[in-house]
Amino acid sequence: MSEIVDKSLAIVGQRVPRVDAGERVTGRATYPADFTRPGMLEGAVKRSPHAHANIKRIDASKALALKGVKAVVSAAQFPDIRPNTIIPFGETGADLWVSAVIVMARGKVLWVGQPVAAVAAIDRRTAEAALDLIDVEYEVLPVAASIDAAMAPGAPVLHPEHKAKGFEPGAAVLPNVGSRTVVARGDTAISLASASRSSTISVTVDTGHQGYIEPHACVAEADPQGFVTIWTSTQGAFQTEIQTAGVLGLAQSKLKVVPLEIGGGFGGKITVHLEPLAARLSQLAGRPVRMVMSRAEMLGGGSGPPAAARIEIQVGATADGRITAIDGRYLVDTGGIPGTPTTLLMQASAACYQTETIRLEGMDVVTSKPRTEAYRGPGGIQAAFAVEQAMDELSISLDMDPLAFRRRNAAVTGSVMPIGTPFPSIGLTTILDRVASHDCWRDPIAPGTLPRGRGLALGYWRGTSMTSAAQVTLTGDGRVTVTMGTVDLSGTRTTMAQVAAEEFGLPLDDVHVVMADTKSSAYSDAAAGSRVGRTMAAAVVEACADALGQLKRRAAEKLQSPEADVAYQRGVFRARAGGSMTPAITLSELMRQTLTDGAVIGRGVSTKLPFGVEVGAHVVDVEVDPETGQVTILRYTAFQDVGRAINPAAVEGQMQGSVVQGLGWALTEAIDYDAEGRARNASLLDYRLPTALDVPPIECVIIETPVPGVPYGLRGVGEMPIVPVAAAVANAIRRAIGVRVTSMPMTPERVARALKTAAAG
Amino acid sequence: MQPFAYERPTTVEQAARLLANDGARALAGGTDLVPQLRERRRHASLIVDLKHIPDLTAVSRTASGGWLIGAATTISRLGADAGFAADHAGLIQAARLIGSLQIQSRASLGGNLANGAPSADAVPLLISLDAQAEIAGAQGRRRVPVHKLPSGPGRTTLAVGELLVALHLPPRPPRTAARYLRFTPRREMDIAIAGAGVVLTLSADGSVADARITLASVAPIPLRAARAESSLVGHRPTQAVLTEAGRIAAAEARPISDTRGSADYRRDLVAVLTRRALEACVGEIASGGARP
Amino acid sequence: MKAIVRCEVNGEALEALADPRDTLLEMLRGPLGLTGTKEGCSNGNCGSCTVLVDGAPVCACLMLCVEAEGTRITTIEGISDGNDLHPVQAALVAHGGTQCGFCTPGIVMSAVALLAREPRPDATQIRHAIAGNLCRCTGYDKIVAAIAAATAPEAGGAP
Repeated sequence: MSEIVDKSLAIVGQRVPRVDAGERVTGRATYPADFTRPGMLEGAVKRSPHAHANIKRIDASKALALKGVKAVVSAAQFPDIRPNTIIPFGETGADLWVSAVIVMARGKVLWVGQPVAAVAAIDRRTAEAALDLIDVEYEVLPVAASIDAAMAPGAPVLHPEHKAKGFEPGAAVLPNVGSRTVVARGDTAISLASASRSSTISVTVDTGHQGYIEPHACVAEADPQGFVTIWTSTQGAFQTEIQTAGVLGLAQSKLKVVPLEIGGGFGGKITVHLEPLAARLSQLAGRPVRMVMSRAEMLGGGSGPPAAARIEIQVGATADGRITAIDGRYLVDTGGIPGTPTTLLMQASAACYQTETIRLEGMDVVTSKPRTEAYRGPGGIQAAFAVEQAMDELSISLDMDPLAFRRRNAAVTGSVMPIGTPFPSIGLTTILDRVASHDCWRDPIAPGTLPRGRGLALGYWRGTSMTSAAQVTLTGDGRVTVTMGTVDLSGTRTTMAQVAAEEFGLPLDDVHVVMADTKSSAYSDAAAGSRVGRTMAAAVVEACADALGQLKRRAAEKLQSPEADVAYQRGVFRARAGGSMTPAITLSELMRQTLTDGAVIGRGVSTKLPFGVEVGAHVVDVEVDPETGQVTILRYTAFQDVGRAINPAAVEGQMQGSVVQGLGWALTEAIDYDAEGRARNASLLDYRLPTALDVPPIECVIIETPVPGVPYGLRGVGEMPIVPVAAAVANAIRRAIGVRVTSMPMTPERVARALKTAAAG
Repeated sequence: MQPFAYERPTTVEQAARLLANDGARALAGGTDLVPQLRERRRHASLIVDLKHIPDLTAVSRTASGGWLIGAATTISRLGADAGFAADHAGLIQAARLIGSLQIQSRASLGGNLANGAPSADAVPLLISLDAQAEIAGAQGRRRVPVHKLPSGPGRTTLAVGELLVALHLPPRPPRTAARYLRFTPRREMDIAIAGAGVVLTLSADGSVADARITLASVAPIPLRAARAESSLVGHRPTQAVLTEAGRIAAAEARPISDTRGSADYRRDLVAVLTRRALEACVGEIASGGARP
Repeated sequence: MKAIVRCEVNGEALEALADPRDTLLEMLRGPLGLTGTKEGCSNGNCGSCTVLVDGAPVCACLMLCVEAEGTRITTIEGISDGNDLHPVQAALVAHGGTQCGFCTPGIVMSAVALLAREPRPDATQIRHAIAGNLCRCTGYDKIVAAIAAATAPEAGGAP
């Protein structure tokens, strides 16, 4: 492995255009909704209109009798999957039961929009007409559509059979809690009691949405011998295969998942939604089936939104600004199925700070809403919204500069992490020093007629390693083919082409990267957890080295030189020999001569890479219209340590995209559920993603503190830069108008109301 | 959605005859109607496309110095008419708030009016500008003030077999300015939580000669704030007078609470938007932008 | 209840048999096989289906296919000449203005329409022109930079 980070790199570190940009700008890139198969049917899903109800009866006979309808499925067509059916996934595994219940309601509906049946018909209109003919009888049950409603005394218990985990023996278990996790060191009660200053912040965060522009879609085709192929848009082809096979009760040898282009995922395309339905319908109909979700379905319970939350944080410090205690309580809305983890987000929210004592208590709360799914640093945004406001408030009460306060308490390499172990390499103080010397912090805020303020917030995301596999083969003209088992969610084909080109010392054009299906590549975890860039890079580096080793043996033979004396550089093998003539053979000549001697196959598998923690700081200037509550983002600067940027343009793209996504949830995005659990704004008109006019240019400052033991010193990139956004905006609002807005999104109405409340005293 | 037939008349009379059919519905830009049909919020058995009737897409200056705008003229086309834009910059500004540029390539003032949305961005100023709607039907043509058209959310007083042919805008009196301000969380691509369309005329001595204020999104139909208007007339437009007019307009509003905003917030916005629109008009007249 | 729609698509006169209930988007993506135009919301709120109708940018999801009778339609497939990218497309490639790519065809169409009426737009005009096109990946910066660059003489100038 290339561990020497400071070697001069030719292609890694360069701004190169995406290798697949041409097909994207011409509309030729194929997403599953664009994909057709001969004789293909169109599928549609019948969804629950109730947030909590028993399904008494489903009668599909009228739908099946409609001309053009070829198959109808409901829970009866799927095997029963019990809770805690663990399937392989990443570091922790996943519960197949969750996928099964998301795909099709079993006996009981748990949120509005949960599938209760699905249809395949000759066209979309016939399929939709058939949905109206499926008769479902419900016994409607009481609803708990929010964290507060679900935890209230007497709340309907949504999963009576569920045993809440993590409570001390004898402790009262709150209604609808999935599980409880505590991270603690020292006694925060004592530290807070003796602290000179403390701040307490209580925040609520509404359910958001990942907002990928491409709706969920797939095509499934079962052949007469029972082999099923699924073309889909997913963050993990293997995860789709495992979940789909499990939900169908199908051997994985009978299922192939072909990842097509993915039009954004952000965490929302890891869990399957349509694939098992399309596959079962195809099996029953004997024809390929395409399913495409509408935007109304996606926002109305058909896809898994990021979690609502209620978080309370108390931070204590000495008079000279040293943090002595961080005490937090995190309630995370898991939606209709328990099990959304709280550990990572709790730790992330406190990780940037050294503290004597810490106590973080987290619970996931079951509500009558769609099952929560991941969203870019899952939970990090919500947690930072609380902690970073508490830190800011503390710096105000200490009369300290917010940057100096954070610099004083910043985690450093070797300081204690929230889990109690020492921090690996972390470049936070470097980042804060860069902020301090940057114009975005030193310049006075540009003057205006309305109140303006500057906010600072830190972000942390642990990122993961998981596992990736790559294969490197050589063409007959000495070019390189990289086959990878992960999908290209964010430019992976390009960055991996850069890595392979670097390792081989070849031009970028001499490398082709294949995003392979699950029967042409080896198991790799999903594109999630800011991991693909680094873990796949490690696999590609290893596969390149393996291939080069094999090539070197062939070259030695051709050059009639001991293998140990053969060196490879930039496409040429040379034998170390005395005399003026240095025997050499080019890679292309070597392959021309030896291709038919047998293939060269380089193998690379990476797993459990050293931590590549992501840290960053965001600085934002805002203007607030006190009469309307409108917040305008004037200037935004994002600092991030990425270890090394394989492609700085791609890194900036991740940072800018993250920030704008974060601004959306910070200011305008929320799914507005009524008390019955129905989304009142299931459209992109009223679920308001930022437009180009709502955001300023986002300046990016990339810092490179390499991680030892990782090829090129790579850190994760894609998740951290969304984490501090809402907190930074909240802090800027506070500095502009003297009032804290603790409900996210900080809509104009909420900002105006906060001002009114403050004015009323 | 149920099957429907599609017709493309080229005269007003043909269109009126077609629209007299049961289940017939007029189509202008379609930016509201097409998704309404697909989502089954509206039904039709016959779609009558009005865009190929020359009268409905013509823009001309009238002999009296006003304007006649074909009801199906697209916002983009209207905005590109330099003469109209010079006379009615405020109305063009308001119309330019309807959706995106893509929407404005199709949407029209007539459609904005006939769709009957309380939030329609172009309608408050049409009302405040005293625009008249020319309506054709089996019995011939009639002209009604624009404010008589909306009758409730998604409803108008157009009878079966009637179509909106054109909008008549009277000549603008001297020292008159028009401004529509709305509030939305996003800068564009959004629906007004509240809006105020103000037409203000000052006397030669600088006092308010006439004021017309029409509010959006705070009642089932666009709402004239009559008491706010009369509070202004005869007074010099001082900050205090304009602020008070905004306060009165807020009291006249009859908003509901929904996913876009609470009734209280909407009322607060009416006060702000009305005052700001008035200020903008005063500023425009003072700077001579509103034609002497 | 099918109707024949005659129109010019990407320079070629054609006739398509379509259900009047189909939108222009459904006709383009279905019978005409022009899947470069994307469906993101079917409600005119995302701009992924932007095409040019008689030169004007419209959301193909908001037009009935029968309304297209007699019009001249340009889709993303008609923007580049074979493998020669339009300056907007070339600039999007060079500036990293496409990530997942799903919004990109719509962005290209809006940008082409902008440059046709305003050959030297500033950043505000560009942001205004693409305000009807939602992008969730890029944060818009690199798109705005690309469109600005597409107007520069070295990029071949505006079309």
